[in-house]
Amino acid sequence: MTGIQIAAVACAVPLTETARVQLGHGSGGKMSAALLRDRFLPHFGNPILGELGDGAVVSIGGAEIVVSTDTFVVSPLEFPGGNIGALAVHGTLNDVAMMGATPAYLTAGFVLEEGLSFELLDRVIHTMADAARQAGVPLITGDTKVVERGKADGLYINTTGIGLVDPGFRPGPGRAAPDDVILLSAPIGRHGMAIMAAREGLAFESSIESDTANLSPLVAALRQAAGDAVAVLRDPTRGGLASALNEIAQASRVGMVLEEATLPVPTDVAAACELLGLDPLYVANEGVLVAIVRPARAEAALAALRAHPLGSEAVAIGRVVPTNPGYVVLKTVVGGTRIVDLLPGDQLPRIC
Amino acid sequence: MKYLSEYRDGTVAQGLIARIKQTATRPWTLMEVCGGQTHTIVRQGLDELLGDAIEMIHGPGCPVCVTPLEQIDKALALAARPDVIFTSFGDMLRVPGSECDLLQVRARGGNIRVVYSPLDALELAIRTPDKQVVFFAVGFETTAPANAMAVWRARQLGVSNFSVLVSHVTVPPAMVAILDAPDNRVQGFLAAGHVCSVMGWTEYEPIAARYHVPIVVTGFEPLDILEGMLLAVRQLEEGRHEVENQYARSVRREGTPPAQDLIRKVFRLTDRQWRGIGAIPKSGLTLREEYADFDAELRFGLESLTVEEPAECRAGDVLRGNLKPPQCPAFGTRCTPEHPLGAPMVSSEGACAAYYNYARFRSPAAHEG
Amino acid sequence: MCLGIPGRILDIRDDRGLAMGMVDFGGVRREICLAYVANEVVPGDYVVVHVGFAITRVDEAEARRTFEALKEMSQLEELDWMREVAEQSLAAPSSGEAA
Repeated sequence: MTGIQIAAVACAVPLTETARVQLGHGSGGKMSAALLRDRFLPHFGNPILGELGDGAVVSIGGAEIVVSTDTFVVSPLEFPGGNIGALAVHGTLNDVAMMGATPAYLTAGFVLEEGLSFELLDRVIHTMADAARQAGVPLITGDTKVVERGKADGLYINTTGIGLVDPGFRPGPGRAAPDDVILLSAPIGRHGMAIMAAREGLAFESSIESDTANLSPLVAALRQAAGDAVAVLRDPTRGGLASALNEIAQASRVGMVLEEATLPVPTDVAAACELLGLDPLYVANEGVLVAIVRPARAEAALAALRAHPLGSEAVAIGRVVPTNPGYVVLKTVVGGTRIVDLLPGDQLPRIC
Repeated sequence: MKYLSEYRDGTVAQGLIARIKQTATRPWTLMEVCGGQTHTIVRQGLDELLGDAIEMIHGPGCPVCVTPLEQIDKALALAARPDVIFTSFGDMLRVPGSECDLLQVRARGGNIRVVYSPLDALELAIRTPDKQVVFFAVGFETTAPANAMAVWRARQLGVSNFSVLVSHVTVPPAMVAILDAPDNRVQGFLAAGHVCSVMGWTEYEPIAARYHVPIVVTGFEPLDILEGMLLAVRQLEEGRHEVENQYARSVRREGTPPAQDLIRKVFRLTDRQWRGIGAIPKSGLTLREEYADFDAELRFGLESLTVEEPAECRAGDVLRGNLKPPQCPAFGTRCTPEHPLGAPMVSSEGACAAYYNYARFRSPAAHEG
Repeated sequence: MCLGIPGRILDIRDDRGLAMGMVDFGGVRREICLAYVANEVVPGDYVVVHVGFAITRVDEAEARRTFEALKEMSQLEELDWMREVAEQSLAAPSSGEAA
């Protein structure tokens, strides 16, 4: 075979274009990327947005600040280990922290569904207040709307975080370079499987809890130990570790090689994934970060992670390489290799 | 996990691979029928590690991939009805029908739910008496006991708003069809371990005898597959052609008789169209007369819906093992998991998807047979 | 076909005439239909579960045997080779080599 030629092959199924938004567009995989690239960027394009980082860095009146926004639509609203409020605060604090900035302020917008119980709302508010207080980040402005029954899955929350840039600490998705070490701060798969356990039709009993956490103290520890040698920081939320690494590999135009044997997956998470036929690499996390660090400071960075309660199980899971740029390759436990690709949309439970 | 993780031991795997290479005095061609086995092979990179010793041809072991276009279109029609909650295993949601797939029907307002078990679908029917709940009963013999039980239980509990859209296929006729093909290159089979957990392996004995092919009942973990390959290669080297059981911890010769009994009670054999392969006589299961009132096709008047299977697509060649996915002209360009041209690229168990997701940049030349 | 995973039976009950039970999979638990294996299992046994049904009992003795055999098979390489060489030299006629 001399090369792939597009022949006029009559195939069983015609190519289908989708005219509507599908759930897969929100999964953090290829469909999400295409949605952004093809529908939003052409109209909003500007150099800052084009960076496609977790947040944006802007200069106002001589001060460099980070702005990051995120919307939380999780269902069910309450799940083992937390609720939508915890995600809304931690998630945005983490996005600001992944840019290397110290979170300073938060805003929050609420869409409440008619009929939402006040008891539930109170629990969410208390959780948010506690999380913000513990982080030392005040909620400075917000908004509330109410929509008719049936229109908001109970509650949607948008939060925006604002932080101050540290000029000597500017990790970014495009900064990974060959020989950098890929560090993972904690085991993967907890949040996504905690949610899955509560989903009707797929439910199972377990003690898996969401790992939702404010990671900025962990980032501060990394900055202390390794400074500018921390090239990339990313919290692998929707789409899981695989999606995060793929995005970085593409943004930095590098390849990555991971060692399957080093990937930390808690036993019960692994079991739940086996049951449903899901791959932990694509399951969402809310208390994990990936740090890609220059080799000279990698050990120091790993030690700093391990010294912190949120990073006590941190491991090195692989390296950045110059080969196969844009691809994340996994060396399997039996010594083979495979690509860890971006999924098109949501990962679906399977029977085969 | 017990009885799972130990069969992923890297050191033992390396040893087995070396053993296989040592045992094979010439290259042999084997077929694994089951999609789950294909998944392990490509996902762990086993085929790459075996080099020239064994060529694995990936068989039509993905019930999702071989579900006829007709059945998908019937599923789409049902899912679009406002009075229906359409339930299915996750794998089926992205398989393209003539015009779209279940995910797109959901985007247009169809009530579609993924379930883990057919009993969950039945429970849903009991909980929502004002809706019709249809379950897409797809699968090989492994899933037939579950689907049979859902129907039997619905009758026992008097659940009238539950029905099934059946698209079951059975393995032995497909193996025979492959062996009968004039261009067949398969010299030995890894039989599907969980199909055999249910059905036992008596149906494979006449096949091994008649076609002189070793058939090794094999599990799904890397060590299972490697051991299955080793046993098959040993047979070939020694000129034997028997049915052997690698998956002894989960398979007995007689299978699980109570499951076979209920399958026989609820279903009967019928001719089936295998997408990409064509019609294989007596290769499918359909509901018996006594349970016909649970047949969604009859309940909703879909039995006369026929769909022209379009001109032969390369999916057929892939499913029959004549073409490696990377050799298909459309692979990775016009045909990708986001824009699949055929079912083997959609289902995560399909050979095309497995190659695309796990082995895409390996040189196509490495796969030339 | 395919996704069947081993789990340990925690209890067995009758649910309106159908044998059901809680099965543990490495810390995760689910209600599973045990109707097809009910006559041959007790709590503590392992079963292979596919889409919410136990389709067969795991023969633990066989599992142990398989795993031990696999380990041996992957390690015997060197001994086999050495044995073959020894056998060849024993079989070689009047080559003058010591046994």
